[in-house]
This record gives sequence, C-alpha cells and structure tokens, in this order.
Amino acid sequence: MTTHAPVRVSHRAATAGVVAGSLLLLLLLALPIATLVLRSGLAGLGQLGVDAELRGALWLTAQTATLATLITVVLGTPLAYLLARDKLPAAPIVGALLDLPLLLPHPVAGMALLLAFGRASPAGVALAAFGLAVVGSRTGIVLAMLFVAAPLYVSAAREAIARVDPRYESVARTLGDSSVRAAWRVTRPLAGRGLLAAAVVMWARSVSEFGAIVILTYNPKVASVLSYDRFTGEGLDAALPVAAVLVILALVPLLVLRTLRASAVSGEPAR
Amino acid sequence: MRRLRALAALALLTASARSAEAAPLGARASADTVVVYAAASLAVPIRAALDTFARRTGTVVLQENGASLELARRITELHRVPDVIALADEEVFPKLLVPRAASWYARFARNRMVLAYTSRSDGAAGVTSANWYRVLLRPEVRVGRSDPAMAPVGYRTLAVYRLAERFYRAPGLAAHLEARTPLALIRPNASELVALLQAGELDYIVDYESLARANHLRYVRLPMEIDLGDPAHAAQYARASVRVARRTDTVTYTGAPIVYGIGVPRGAPHAAAGARFLAFLLGPDGRALLGAHAIDALSRPEFVGDSVPAALRSAFR
Repeated sequence: MTTHAPVRVSHRAATAGVVAGSLLLLLLLALPIATLVLRSGLAGLGQLGVDAELRGALWLTAQTATLATLITVVLGTPLAYLLARDKLPAAPIVGALLDLPLLLPHPVAGMALLLAFGRASPAGVALAAFGLAVVGSRTGIVLAMLFVAAPLYVSAAREAIARVDPRYESVARTLGDSSVRAAWRVTRPLAGRGLLAAAVVMWARSVSEFGAIVILTYNPKVASVLSYDRFTGEGLDAALPVAAVLVILALVPLLVLRTLRASAVSGEPAR
Repeated sequence: MRRLRALAALALLTASARSAEAAPLGARASADTVVVYAAASLAVPIRAALDTFARRTGTVVLQENGASLELARRITELHRVPDVIALADEEVFPKLLVPRAASWYARFARNRMVLAYTSRSDGAAGVTSANWYRVLLRPEVRVGRSDPAMAPVGYRTLAVYRLAERFYRAPGLAAHLEARTPLALIRPNASELVALLQAGELDYIVDYESLARANHLRYVRLPMEIDLGDPAHAAQYARASVRVARRTDTVTYTGAPIVYGIGVPRGAPHAAAGARFLAFLLGPDGRALLGAHAIDALSRPEFVGDSVPAALRSAFR
C-alpha cells in the first residue's frame, strides 16, 4: 500500500515520535534516580560528616573502581586494538568469549571467581605467594569489578578504534613508525574520546557492582554492600542515604569526564 | 490513512501493554497461588514441602529465600507482602513484624547449632564433639561466622561460644573463639558461609544442622548444653548473653532454644491459600518432610497472637 501524505507532515510526525520516545526513555531512567536523590540526598550528604563507615565505604569504592578501570585500560586497550584491526586469529570467537561475563548473573560470577581464584585453586595458591587473597580483600573487590565491567570497556574501545581509518596508521608507517608506534601516535589520540567514554562506563559499572563483590568480599564494605547491609539491619531509611550520596558524588567525576570528552580531546573533529 | 494506521498501532500497543499488566494481576487475584518467604536455613525443607503441596492441591507456589531480617524488611520497608513468611528466629516477629505487619505467628520447629566442615578442612580427620573448640583455636584453621547484626545465626554462634566457655570451664574461651574469625571472614548470613566453606576458603563454620545437611557438609554435633537445640536446657542457654554493637545502638541477645516462626502477614494477597499451606506444613505430612531435612518440627505448633485463622487454630487444638 502506498500513501501520498505530504513529506512535511511525515517529517513532523517522525520528529515528534523521536522526541516522544527519547523523553519516555529519559523519564524511565531519571525518575528512580531523582526519587532517590530527592528523598535521601540531603540526609546522605548530612550523614557524610558524622558517618565514618559511610565515608570509608565511598572512598574504598572510588579507589577500587578506579584501580579496576586503570588495569582494564592498560590491558584491555591493546586487546581492543587487536580485535578492531582483525589481527587476532579467531577474532569473532574471542569477541564472543568477551561477552560471556556479561551473561553471568552476578552472584554466579562471584562464585566462579571464588572457585577460580580462591585459596583452594592453583591461581589462588599463586596469588597467596604474593600475599594476595580474593576473599575479604581489596583484591577481591577489584577482581569482581574487573570481571563484570571489563567486557564493557573492551567492546566499546574496540568500536572506538574501529572507527579510526587504518590508512592513517599506514601513512605513519610509511614515514618510518613501527606499527606499535603508529598505533600509539595516530590511532590512540583519534580514538581518544571513545576510549574515555568506554572507561567512564566501566568505572560507573564497577562502582555499582554488588552481587559478585558480596560473595568475595563482604568486609571491607564498598558502598553497594554497605547500602544492602543497612537495608537489612536498619531498614530503607538507613539504606537510601548511602545510595543517594553515592549517586551525587559519582556525578562529579562522570560530569568531568563527559565534559573532557565533549571538549574534543586530541583534535578529533567534533561530531 | 497513515494516521489511521498509526492510531490502530497505538491502540494495539496500549492494549498489549494493558494485557501484559493484567496477567500478573490476574494471577495474583486467583486463590491458587501462594508466595512464601523462607529464611535461608529453611530454604530446602520449605521447597520440598511446597512441591508436595503444589502436587496435591494444584496451587502455584513461589518461594523467595533470604536472611530472616532481610525478609522481614521486604515487608515492612518495601511493602512486598508474601502469603507466608517463615523465619529462623521467632523473635523477629515481635521485633519487626507484630503488630503492624502481622497480628499472629506460630512457633513451629527447632534446629540446633553444629560445627560444619568438609573433607578438605584442616584437621577434618580428628574433629569430634569433644575437641571441636580446641580444633578451632589452632592458628592455621580458618573459621567463618555470620554477622550478628544481620542474621540470627550470627548472634547464636556467639551465644554458643559463651555457653562453651561455661560448659568447658575455660575462662576466656568465648573471646578467643570469637577472635578466630577476622572481619574479612564474617558474612551476612549462613548460606554465604556455606559457599565459602565449599570453595575451600574456610575450614569450619558454626551453623544450623539443617543447613549442614541440606548442603551435604560433614558436621559434628555439639553437646546439648550448648547447641541451643534442647528446650530442656532453656534456663542454661539463658545464661549466655551477647551484646551486638550496631551503628546507632547496642542490642543484647539472650541465649534461647532455637525456635522457628511462621505466619501469614497482614495484607497477604492470598491469605486463605497461605493458611492452607501452613495447615499442611504444620500437619503430620509437613512435619515428616521437615524432619527428613533435620528440622525438628514441634508436635503441635504454638500460636502467638489473637487473630489466628479459626481453621488453623481448630486444626491444631
């Protein structure tokens, strides 16, 4: 069936549809956050001054999420590059394997990590030789964050790198750069904004992780565990300020990074 | 024409959204559903009882497990009300649920504390009911326990340690045993301890006998004078008091025989079906099922509160 409605009208309808759809999704996402912050934000900020356990949990969360992100950026960016440039044998299989951690329910991820890296496992024995243990430790928290969030970084970084035309690197190589140097000098800055965005997503996902962390490390408590702990022990009014203050404080680095990204890192033309 | 189609599509969308919404509502309205919240240590026996109940009556059964205090909070704070709530400590009813969220409950079963371990545990070959505390004191042994502020099993473990100190006439024993578990090995509830034990992170945990059996763990029974399982020793248990420091206050728990509580909360969506399941669970078949899972069901439940459904009260007079 063909219709001959004026192009103008269908344009307007399409625009309206796009706007309405966007607004609906934004509302779905913003409403719970706004409710949380409006209901408990002030209480949470007020509590920061008097609640040493809350300050400790927030600081621990920031440290471990940042460390997990840094480790992933260092190890994951080369991997993302190899995947983007099809330089890995069986790249599709590797790519699919990288999605697997995202499929696991998080408590199951925690159990799998426990079995693979616990003190009864060969890896755990090796870790113990360096004085590291995954249970009840910062190591466990970082490991859990890395496991659930690193695939997000690698897949977003791969996309960012794939968008950079490989011919730029070829040019650099014809001018005498080694392939590693060409990738570092040409592709890295051009993909910089995308890599930063990928790191931001990874960091935020790490901050919010609960299920895998609580299996490995209940104490010391990160903010998500503390919030659950307060809910069980003291109820909603004790739990929500923890989460609200986490959201408010996490907004600062997120905004800074998003702004950095917007202000055209490294000369990539703004899109 | 296009607008018409858009309208039709919109109408379809709304209708399907409505019916999607209506489906769970419909299920909720049917009397043949029963939603049960079960304390982690009751998860397996309640599952077995629910399965049998479902087979016999055709009822749709749904079960959610968690720490007793967390389950109670789901009702009081999140207003998610089940049809039946079964808790590891009857005391949680008066502390959190009665009178606002429940008007009555039933004491229905006992359990006892045991020392659970696996074949890989350090010292597994030589541990007995007599030497268990000396095994726990060995520096190379890793002992886990639950958070006393979070789960009944946590403060009960500390009560067992206090009672052991008196029973073995070993001054300072309770503090030594308590100190054997560093903060890193304290967990919110007993089921997570079981996971750590099975993964080889822990050598021993003090836990409910039912959980040890449900998870096929090895365990040794503790003397009845300290295992909180025998009502005849209630007076002795009461000599152990445990102070638990929480963020805002300190709570004192007094040792008592372990008694499980169960009830139909106020505003239960299928209160009648919930009461029917209770009648089954507390009756001879349900008690046999519980017994098969190391939960000692009372021969007759003890009701607390005044608005117990008449059918239930008369069934167990």
